[in-house]
Amino acid sequence: MWWVRALLWLALLIVLLALPLYLEAQWLRAGEYMMVGAVGAIGLTLLTGQAGQLSLAHAFFLLAGGTAYTVLAGGQEGERNLVGFNLPPLLALLGAVAITALLGIAFAPVAGRLRGIYLGVASLALVFLGLYFGQAAEGLTGGTSTGRAPEPFSLFGFEFSNEGDLEILGVPFRQSERVWYLFLGLLLIAFLLALGAVRSRVGRSWRAVRDNEAAAAVMGVSVARAKAGAFAVSSAYAGLAGVMTVLWFDILKPDESEFGTYGINVSIAFLAMVIIGGLGSVPGALVGAVVVNGLPQVLALYSTKLGWFTGTGEGAFTPVLISSFVYGAAIILVVLFEPGGLAAIGRRIAGRLSNPARGRE
Amino acid sequence: MTPAELRVENVTLRFGGLRALDSVSFDVQPGSLHALIGPNGAGKSSCFNVICGLYRASEGRVFFGDVELTRQRPNRLARLGIGRSFQNAALSSHSTVLDNVMLGRFALTRGGFLECGLRLPWITRTERRHAERAAEICEFLGIGDVLHTPVGALPYGAVKRVDIARALAVEPALLLLDEPAAGMNAAETAELAHTIHEIRAELGISILLVEHDMGLVMGIADRVSVLDFGRLIADGTPAEVQADPEVVRAYLGTDHKENA
Repeated sequence: MWWVRALLWLALLIVLLALPLYLEAQWLRAGEYMMVGAVGAIGLTLLTGQAGQLSLAHAFFLLAGGTAYTVLAGGQEGERNLVGFNLPPLLALLGAVAITALLGIAFAPVAGRLRGIYLGVASLALVFLGLYFGQAAEGLTGGTSTGRAPEPFSLFGFEFSNEGDLEILGVPFRQSERVWYLFLGLLLIAFLLALGAVRSRVGRSWRAVRDNEAAAAVMGVSVARAKAGAFAVSSAYAGLAGVMTVLWFDILKPDESEFGTYGINVSIAFLAMVIIGGLGSVPGALVGAVVVNGLPQVLALYSTKLGWFTGTGEGAFTPVLISSFVYGAAIILVVLFEPGGLAAIGRRIAGRLSNPARGRE
Repeated sequence: MTPAELRVENVTLRFGGLRALDSVSFDVQPGSLHALIGPNGAGKSSCFNVICGLYRASEGRVFFGDVELTRQRPNRLARLGIGRSFQNAALSSHSTVLDNVMLGRFALTRGGFLECGLRLPWITRTERRHAERAAEICEFLGIGDVLHTPVGALPYGAVKRVDIARALAVEPALLLLDEPAAGMNAAETAELAHTIHEIRAELGISILLVEHDMGLVMGIADRVSVLDFGRLIADGTPAEVQADPEVVRAYLGTDHKENA
């Protein structure tokens, strides 16, 4: 049955490749936001689902990755005292991923000593560190009031911005369309790498450490190294998601409070994606990202069209508020009725289709 | 790999004021089936954990051939040719049988996140080769038809076999079995005795067995060491040990009459 699955994935990829020809820019941007979430969620599902380490630090690594890219690719700006290295964007992106991976390793001595909810709380400290760093290191981040514009991504001279005229099949390809393909490419690489690793000895060592450290050690796995490795990989994914975040917003702007683009709420949103999708499932992380990051975007687009939830201010039913309720409810439903998440439901349906007799038992 | 001798030399293990092991010494001869028995809390599992490096001995040393095991970290064990099964099986219940057994090949393979993620040709090739060997080992242990079943869905007897298969996947010269028959019924135990016998006959490796089930031990072991309250009270052939009055008093007394 593997070829049916391969065909379905191929069909999905073709649809995703064709979408910019049909969708308006605002819908593309909603889709791009889901892809940002998907890259981060894959990283977290590897760490929390496969290696069994609860982390609420994802938002910090997002900020670190976004800042690293902006600094590495950006130029010096004398009057604002901004630091920049003028690196080619591809190099800056790889550099940002490497830097966040190193930050993840730097946290490994803490991560190796704590378990479960204790690790979760300790990792949350990083989010507050990020909040402080974002405000204090204005030379890097541009500060909370103005922020800093990231260099648009470009590959071999092709810019993923509104630069130049490009038309394909009569559709003008501007920034939204171009960034769609950039993000799709990055997501595809992130997805395939994760899938390959999960099925290999690396994923096996993570699961072994998650389920029984003594058994993992006796089988030749260095528990400390496996944990540090999982943290590094997960942070690198979050770092890439951070680069995508600043490219999506077109600005790097550190938060003023602990809730924002790189705040606690984002760390929790990533955890929600991973739980809804099914802990440890890479395809599940994709679906979780579509639900959690997609819902507020789609609701916002519909609400302007239909005139729903247009209230503003404190008590208003904004799309963000409504989606928080929806994914909160989704988490409760998953935990109560299907702890394996959407991935487990998917597996059950696939099992029933390929073997109807067993499904009826 | 030629089997080496395992020597436990004057090992003492203290937890605070408690002596879990008190100057315990015994040898496991190459190619022999050696049983370590004793009543509950006698220190059998502690002794295993010292050998594996999971516990640090307070005094004394353990050698495997020329290598001092008490100086090694536990993750070196597999590379030295020692495989171990666990009392509680300690498997990943959501993963398949093959995936669990393949963990035993960890020390025999290489490749980090990027190499494995990119599925480089040599990674895929070695992975396939090792999966074939793992399947062979499962076949040998009678679990070849459930390779792709999650361990959590298997009956208890099969789960214990998966654990042994994983230990064998290390390609050990010495196999440590921690109460493989715990919780099994008489029929399953008899089958297991047959399997352990076959492992030694086919692979010619040394086996150190911690066990409660006297019938199993006396039937298949070449040599038996008896622990009681952390002390070694007897060491000899099954017949010698069964005749030892101190052993009868400490352990076999009532139990032996029940089994007879």
